[in-house]
Amino acid sequence: MFDRDIWQEIFNTIKKNKLRTFLTGFSVGWAIFILVMLLASVNGMQNGFTGQFNDDATNSIFIRPGTTSKAYAGFEAGRRIQLTNEDFEYVRQSFPEDIEYISGRYFTNTTARYKSETGSYPVQAVHPEFQIIEKTIITDGRYFNEVDFTNKAKVAIIGRKVAEDLFKNENPIGKFAELNGLTFRIIGIFIDEGDDNAERRIYAPLSTYQRIYGNTNNINQIALTYNPTYDLSKALEFSGRLEDLMKRRQKVSPEDQSGINVWNYAQAFDDISSFTTVLKVIGIVVGSLILIAGIVGIGNIMVFTIKERTKEFGVRKALGARPRQIVNLVLLESTFITTLSGFIGLLFAWLILSLIGPSIETPAFSNPSVRISTVITATIILVIAGVLAGLLPAIKAANVKPIVALSDK
Amino acid sequence: MIEIKNLHKSYKMGSNSLHVLKGINFSVEEGELVAIMGSSGSGKSTLLNILGMLDGADSGEYNLDNVPIKDLNETKAAQYRNKFLGFVFQSFNLINYKNAMENVALPLYYQKVNRKERQEKSLKYLDQVGLKEWATHLPSELSGGQKQRVAIARAMAAEPKVLLADEPTGALDSKTSYEVMDLIQKINDEGNTILVVTHEPDIAEMCKRIVHLKDGVIVEDKKVEQVRAEQYV
Repeated sequence: MFDRDIWQEIFNTIKKNKLRTFLTGFSVGWAIFILVMLLASVNGMQNGFTGQFNDDATNSIFIRPGTTSKAYAGFEAGRRIQLTNEDFEYVRQSFPEDIEYISGRYFTNTTARYKSETGSYPVQAVHPEFQIIEKTIITDGRYFNEVDFTNKAKVAIIGRKVAEDLFKNENPIGKFAELNGLTFRIIGIFIDEGDDNAERRIYAPLSTYQRIYGNTNNINQIALTYNPTYDLSKALEFSGRLEDLMKRRQKVSPEDQSGINVWNYAQAFDDISSFTTVLKVIGIVVGSLILIAGIVGIGNIMVFTIKERTKEFGVRKALGARPRQIVNLVLLESTFITTLSGFIGLLFAWLILSLIGPSIETPAFSNPSVRISTVITATIILVIAGVLAGLLPAIKAANVKPIVALSDK
Repeated sequence: MIEIKNLHKSYKMGSNSLHVLKGINFSVEEGELVAIMGSSGSGKSTLLNILGMLDGADSGEYNLDNVPIKDLNETKAAQYRNKFLGFVFQSFNLINYKNAMENVALPLYYQKVNRKERQEKSLKYLDQVGLKEWATHLPSELSGGQKQRVAIARAMAAEPKVLLADEPTGALDSKTSYEVMDLIQKINDEGNTILVVTHEPDIAEMCKRIVHLKDGVIVEDKKVEQVRAEQYV
């Protein structure tokens, strides 16, 4: 196989038939090019989707109560489920191993005033750990801490937009603003990349708001992140356990999705990855079909080449070439053409992707690229393709009878 | 060297069967230079093809250097051809993208001779046919006579037991033909066994023995006084 003479012969035939070799190679190179581009596009979509979710911690789970849709355990359908601090503590203490961070959420609106400026903003009253769950980025000051929470301190963290609206050019940190008629001290400013609306939000300790609003212990939602070492199946299993527990506690039918909804990012990820897997499979199938066309093209040309070289094979056999040696010669030639042109296609695809790929940054499509595994797979496919394309013509060539080949004088 | 007993060969032509060789008995000693003559369709080329293991006989015996030649598969036939036989064809059959030296080296390649030795040997044989300076030329740059001399060098390079020449002068003018025959005679002088198929009487006269074939049987087998080709060159 690494015989200099064989390679010399292959290069000679290629040199002698430049156009034919080019046309042959083009079909395979093009097929590989398309295959790689397809896979890269799927990859780009995957990157896009993943990017969209990256804003929040990807291992988060939200427990959202609603209104029951099924009668269960003696209760009629249409019952409103209300979570409380007791539920929160219960969840926290039930899964110490599984939970990384946990926070309650209480949603309300407020009219905020500073000096002569006023505005209406949504308020989220939460636990201190919510900063990590929501990946809130503090640019100035600090988030509130456990001490603030225990003391039910009237402190607030405001979004960048809120700060701009109310405080204009003043530094809000340490200033007092009026929220619903009560004075809150502004201790931090946060930003949210890519979401202006989120920056119109105000965060405050949950305990403070529960006190202000009629000494309630109601919670609208529980947000938590699970142990980051969990893989997808373990995460899903955990959120299943969580759901079972919450439904039993609130006497909601296990089949009732609107009574209590446990929403797992992992679940959404799972959906997306199965979606992109389907896309990938489609990409591979379409690419392979095109590749098959390329292989048939090479096979076709090889058959033609064999016919042209019948006499040469006859001479070789008369001089003592064994059939195997003829098969090797033809196989190596077709494999060489396929692999080389395939690599050129691969190289082109890679070049285009590395040139324009990083500059593509849209929500659904970002940085299409090929992985090294794709390149390796493509290479293996190419070699196999070359062998397949050459096999039939090679056998044909080996079966050339020297007498027949030499008879056309 | 060659022993043939009661050799039969027929070809199927559609529903008809064409009986080409009808019981050939024939033997060749080492060092002979035999001309096989006959008109077109007499079976002389078929005989040569069977001798050259390019084609199989229907029945009969064929011994080459005391090795029985029968029931050969392709691989075995290739080995025997490589070991025993050298071929010279009417249309030279040089490989057109290989230069003279590479053409001569080809049978040595199939004998698994290493590259360096191949080059030395092929240059030596090219020198013998007087074409050493043309070693790097492609067949397309050679004249007909030169091509045939390269082909003869190629046939000789494998150091075969028997050299089979099928109308070696068929595509050449008479002067070049004599040059080629001169070369063949000189190779024979060194003790090589050579069979030449020809339909030209003057070429046949340059051999040492003439076998006449007609309608698939040997009608005449005579030793002749060799006419040296040298005098016409």
